Amino acid sequence: MKMRPFTVSLIFLLFLASQTVHSWKKDEFRNCNQTPFCKRARSRKPGSCNLIAHDVSISDGDLTAKLIPKAPQDQDQDQIKPLTLSLSVYQDGIVRLKIDEDPSLDPPKKRFQVPDVVMPEFEAKKLWLQKASTEKLDGDGGSLSSVVYLSDGYEAVLRHDPFEVYVREKAGKGRVLSLNSHGLFDFEQLRAKKEGEDWEERFRGHTDTRPYGPQSISFDVSFYGSDFVYGIPEHAASFALKPTRGPGFEESEPYRLFNLDVFEYLHDSPFGIYGSIPFMVAHGKSGKSSGFFWLNAAEMQIDVLGNGWDAEDGILMPTGQNRIDTFWMSEAGIVDTFFFVGPGPKDVVRQYTGVTGLPSMPQLFATAYHQCRWNYRDEEDVENVDSKFDEHDIPYDVLWLDIEHTDGKRYFTWDKLLFPHPEEMQKKLAAKGRHMVTIVDPHIKRDEAFHLHKDATERGYYVKDASGKDYDGWCWPGSSSYIDMLGPEIRSWWGDKFSYENYVGSTPSLYIWNDMNEPSVFNGPEVTMPRDALHLGGVEHRELHNAYGYYFHMATSDGLLKRGDGKDRPFVLSRAFFAGSQRYGAVWTGDNTAEWEHLRVSVPMILTLGLTGMTFSGADVGGFFGNPEPELLVRWYQLGAYYPFFRGHAHHDTKRREPWLFGERNTELMRDAIRTRYTLLPYFYTLFREANVSGVPVVRPLWMEFPFDEATFSNDEAFMVGNSLLVQGIYTERAKHASVYLPGKESWYDLRTGTAYKGGKIHKLEVSEESIPAFQRAGTIVPRKDRFRRSSTQMAHDPYTLVIALNSSQAAEGELYLDDGKSFDFKNGAYIHRRFVFSKGQLTSSNAASSSLGKNSFPSDCIIERIILLGYTPGPKSALVEPGNKNAEIELGPLRLGGRGAAALTIRKPGVRVTEDWTIKFL
Amino acid sequence: MRVYSVSIFILLVFFIASSCFRSASSAPKDPFLGISPQDENYYKSSSDSIKCKDGSKKFSKSQLNDDFCDCPDGTDEPGTSACPTAKFYCKNAGHVPQFIFSSRVNDGICDCCDGSDEYDGQVKCPNTCWEAGKVARDRLIKKITTYKEGVIVRNQEIEKAKIAIAKDGAELTKLKNEEKILKGLVQQLKEASSEDKPIESTDDDTVGNIDDSSLDEQDLKVTNDDDHPAAEDEKHKTSKTEGSPLDIVEEHESENKHAASAKHEDDSAVATEIDHDAGNKVSPDEVKKVESDASETTEGLSKEELGRLVASRWTGEKNENQGSAHDNADESHEELPKDTDDEQYDGYASESDEDSGKYDDSGKYNDDDIDDELEENYEEESHDDTTSYKSDTDDEPYLSDTTSQNNPSWLEKIQQTVKNILKAVNIFQAPVNISEAARVRKEYDESSAKLSKIQSRISSLTKRLEHDFGPEKEFYSFCDRCFEIKQNKYVYKVCPYKQASQEEGHTTTRLGRWDKFEDSYRTMVFSNGDKCWNGPDRSMKVKLRCGLKNEITDVDEPSRCEYVALLSTPALCLEDKLKELQDKLDSMNKEQPQGHDEL
Repeated sequence: MKMRPFTVSLIFLLFLASQTVHSWKKDEFRNCNQTPFCKRARSRKPGSCNLIAHDVSISDGDLTAKLIPKAPQDQDQDQIKPLTLSLSVYQDGIVRLKIDEDPSLDPPKKRFQVPDVVMPEFEAKKLWLQKASTEKLDGDGGSLSSVVYLSDGYEAVLRHDPFEVYVREKAGKGRVLSLNSHGLFDFEQLRAKKEGEDWEERFRGHTDTRPYGPQSISFDVSFYGSDFVYGIPEHAASFALKPTRGPGFEESEPYRLFNLDVFEYLHDSPFGIYGSIPFMVAHGKSGKSSGFFWLNAAEMQIDVLGNGWDAEDGILMPTGQNRIDTFWMSEAGIVDTFFFVGPGPKDVVRQYTGVTGLPSMPQLFATAYHQCRWNYRDEEDVENVDSKFDEHDIPYDVLWLDIEHTDGKRYFTWDKLLFPHPEEMQKKLAAKGRHMVTIVDPHIKRDEAFHLHKDATERGYYVKDASGKDYDGWCWPGSSSYIDMLGPEIRSWWGDKFSYENYVGSTPSLYIWNDMNEPSVFNGPEVTMPRDALHLGGVEHRELHNAYGYYFHMATSDGLLKRGDGKDRPFVLSRAFFAGSQRYGAVWTGDNTAEWEHLRVSVPMILTLGLTGMTFSGADVGGFFGNPEPELLVRWYQLGAYYPFFRGHAHHDTKRREPWLFGERNTELMRDAIRTRYTLLPYFYTLFREANVSGVPVVRPLWMEFPFDEATFSNDEAFMVGNSLLVQGIYTERAKHASVYLPGKESWYDLRTGTAYKGGKIHKLEVSEESIPAFQRAGTIVPRKDRFRRSSTQMAHDPYTLVIALNSSQAAEGELYLDDGKSFDFKNGAYIHRRFVFSKGQLTSSNAASSSLGKNSFPSDCIIERIILLGYTPGPKSALVEPGNKNAEIELGPLRLGGRGAAALTIRKPGVRVTEDWTIKFL
Repeated sequence: MRVYSVSIFILLVFFIASSCFRSASSAPKDPFLGISPQDENYYKSSSDSIKCKDGSKKFSKSQLNDDFCDCPDGTDEPGTSACPTAKFYCKNAGHVPQFIFSSRVNDGICDCCDGSDEYDGQVKCPNTCWEAGKVARDRLIKKITTYKEGVIVRNQEIEKAKIAIAKDGAELTKLKNEEKILKGLVQQLKEASSEDKPIESTDDDTVGNIDDSSLDEQDLKVTNDDDHPAAEDEKHKTSKTEGSPLDIVEEHESENKHAASAKHEDDSAVATEIDHDAGNKVSPDEVKKVESDASETTEGLSKEELGRLVASRWTGEKNENQGSAHDNADESHEELPKDTDDEQYDGYASESDEDSGKYDDSGKYNDDDIDDELEENYEEESHDDTTSYKSDTDDEPYLSDTTSQNNPSWLEKIQQTVKNILKAVNIFQAPVNISEAARVRKEYDESSAKLSKIQSRISSLTKRLEHDFGPEKEFYSFCDRCFEIKQNKYVYKVCPYKQASQEEGHTTTRLGRWDKFEDSYRTMVFSNGDKCWNGPDRSMKVKLRCGLKNEITDVDEPSRCEYVALLSTPALCLEDKLKELQDKLDSMNKEQPQGHDEL
């Protein structure tokens, strides 16, 4: 590991280093060489795929073909049967390519296709192909290709010999994405076991029986016009994915996608941790992005191949476009892949979330600050922490209870001694507009007296071991079994457990946290479930492993939905996730550590999650393991205030670290950081709505807003919150300066001082303990609420502040979305969506709500109390408000209240309502 | 109608705002809302414009409580939520007036008992000041009663302490004198018998062992060295006699206190150093152990053992596969097959909701909450003095026989005897008369025994007098005492100036060694206790509260291995505080009739 000179003393540093080295039990996790399918795949040479597309035709609106070996090979090829290929085309530039064994040829087992991930409405966007044109490319050995029209000037092409699939821009302008261009495609077909063959795999005392033998799939995918690839969470690694092999690159493990509960994970490693989203985005100088998604829930390993890796394989690739090649390997499942053409970064995420679903709209409280610890021990402790927030005038919205609140780790129960009055406790919090979250994990204590265990056993709802008995693993409660979340009926049964009747002691202000759903099994191989465990319908755990946590999250979220009669938006935090988890709630980056490098890596991790649809994400503020120095804790709060999901959390061995425990000054700093989040809640909530409508994440990489600015492509120290704010953490101790790159041609205004900085360059800024660098982009309008309350609930009627940062043409625009913050009435139009435009010395508020959504409306008595203008040159004397033809005063007011805020041009009490159309003219 | 005047315009906007909107941002009807009586002049006397209290700017009277923040310090908005730094004053007639954060104004939650903080119509807050005031006054009266009695007890204690300390001091001076003389005699005797081989000690017992009359030469030398500057008590902490390792550690503690996370670097503090490593989760040794367990032996483990081993990484609970070197009470019941977590936490359960202040690390205790609760505890009066007793590990005044005689003659007698003996010895120098030799030896033995007794007493007295007994020596009586409380299966024992421990059956875990007083003698700190596996060294803070008896009323562990206890004691019943409480009661009583009439 790398050591950085950030510790106090040498001894401490050495100790820390040795500890970190020792803490991650590398040996307990399989590397590629210990994973036979990965080792096999990685040793394949380009061009070794000899499959050609045969019988190419249009059928059921798809382009279909059989994949057969080009020449019958002498050795070992007797069981190669034709594979079926189908290529479908969807609206909005999406191609779906499926390759599977031919069911009509009686394979030994139906291979697993991941259900309930692709949105049902996605199928409705399918474009029924009528015909494919055939073309013969020059200089391509006369190979035939079938071409289908995609949309917006894109075409999908199936080359027959050798088989290759790609998407290109029409009129030969170049390729976008391709699959099997390097001939690495391999599909291990299920077959009968040969005499004397040993299919078992052993790892550290665990035996995987592998009754179906080898069944892995691998192929290469190329992204054209690309300089970097991103995505495929979850790894604690840089945002732009580093090559894992290739000339000039140190060969590393491939990026692994295998949901695991990794104790004290490292901050820079391609090893898989809690969640998996096999979706990759490429971006390049052309300003264009493209994306590739493989819907497959088995263990996956992905190589990013460094430039020149294929120099000697003799395969001709189109030149003239920068290209990134990648190599995808999976242990099982089928090829079910999606190509997204972009061309903009936001187009790619829209296309991807068109397939896997848009992020759900959170309740307002969930976007505010959460206070957690393993564990707030008893009701008295809860009351105390709650009242301390009030005593220090620090807002917070949610208090969390970890596993110790239960009766012996039996979820849905309460420890009778520690939490004798759970309802009363929740009501006390609710009286202050606060909420509570309790933990519910998927392992069920094997205790005959526990009704849930009894019920699940009787109904046969547990995952089975390879011999067909209920799988018995070890987790918090000791001996445990795991609910089989694959079945919709079982999920529905699980969901019912969240009703107020079933979950005794729960109230409407209680929401849920799903932890350990990788699943974590303390005595299982790699701390998870054996791959030969069996799910509903004989599905092997290996086939769905990465989606187990997803189904569990889904079942819990659906349960809360049912609990509230479909009227209350669920809030469920999950640790494990898969493609589509964005529909069910939030995730966090698991058990991080109180170290500066973990603070730093939280940004690329959250950026990656956002890019892959999972926008509602955050890292434990302060670091889960270990005790942060107050300075680190303060910096973490300052950064965490901009995470989409903002929660402080700590391991039970750590010292208490609530914001008021580190002296007056630090309390002030943390209060200020938390309040910053609260003032920006209207902006965040508007961004969550944007994500809910478009898939565009709340926290985004700089290049999503500045796709042509190369300097942003590998910047993962800074991020955008929406399109208006740029934030960069301070990741080192006692930092005096920070180098911040501000992209674009327009200026940026420091959020605290209002100072303008030129775009398009690196600024070396002085850093104070008071804040991390944060800027508003010129040309934007950010809505705020500048009054602090105990929680977001009490802010409902508070007036707004608009901060207008004018660009060089004295213009700006921004939006505000609000609704009741709780229910689904917004789906029927019960919301307010305003668009604010400033141009030609005039600010206009107009309705931006889509008229197609129902006739409901949302009433609000909120007014705008203050309008702050940054970068306005004429120096206006007063403002005229229409309608009403009233004057409003203009004065110099503070940019931020309650501090030594810099002065800015302020319209005092324009008296306009947020629900109405109005204009304010500057005189 | 066209209005040109800005201020009139603003008023108009208010009018519209307050009449048309049910808005939280409406200004109060009373322009002076939220202003305390002391401040009223500040707002009312100024003619047209009022200064922000921080001097940063001015605002017009119409801007007072206009629900728009003009002053950075909130001077202009005492009655609204517009300025985050402002405070709202509730009169609370019938109870005590109160300042609340501006963030509570019109937030839909009733904060002031008179309901004045909610005036925008979101909620209706009933006036509960009379009832609340009565309860508060009753509690205050009770508290004052306790304080009154407590102050008396405290003063008695202080008197006793003064006498005792004076006595100790006098005894010390006397003993030191005697020691000096006796030392000379012993030296003479020793010289006299130096040729006399049989006098060489055959015993290795230490000086501290008072029942042994023989003396080792080396020990004697050590003692002499240490006592060299015996003239004054400026010298602190001599490392002799019983418990010396403890003293060493204590010294290092105090030296290293300011070095926060720095390592203890002294060789002599090996024990501390090892402990310190544990503060960062796992000591390297342990890591290695776990590591080797994990990477070498997991294959041999049963499924259950493996599950427990992996679980223990997160929980920090000891796994049965590991060595037992760093055992502690929490972890020692691992042999139970299941529910270890439950067991562990049972111990921390507090059944009643007393003392809400125990997590208060800021040191500013909220007297209303805590002291009141304490009083309730006294009322039960179920505890008796058994919670406090003489410590068994204490250094008793062993020499009471000699000192209490308070009679210089014994020394004179010895002096005389020795003189005689020496004379005799000198006279018959060459062939030593056997009986004379025996007499010399006997005298030597007796005198050195006496000397060691005296030295031991000196040491214990010196040590005691070095303790910080508080500004008025009010904690003197804590010196030889321990206090305990039983919580579930644990017995917690706090011995001031010594240590704090947790006992479960026969297992004792040291929660900390005496460190110091903190927070103006309102907290006793015990630090560097037994180390926690995967956690910090155990430590305990004992928060002191006024009470009539010395007793522990609660123990808790708010952070892992960081304990907090509440000890009620007359030592904390301060006269100033009593006066404060009485003044408070007086002012409450003044408000009373008014408030009552209003109701």
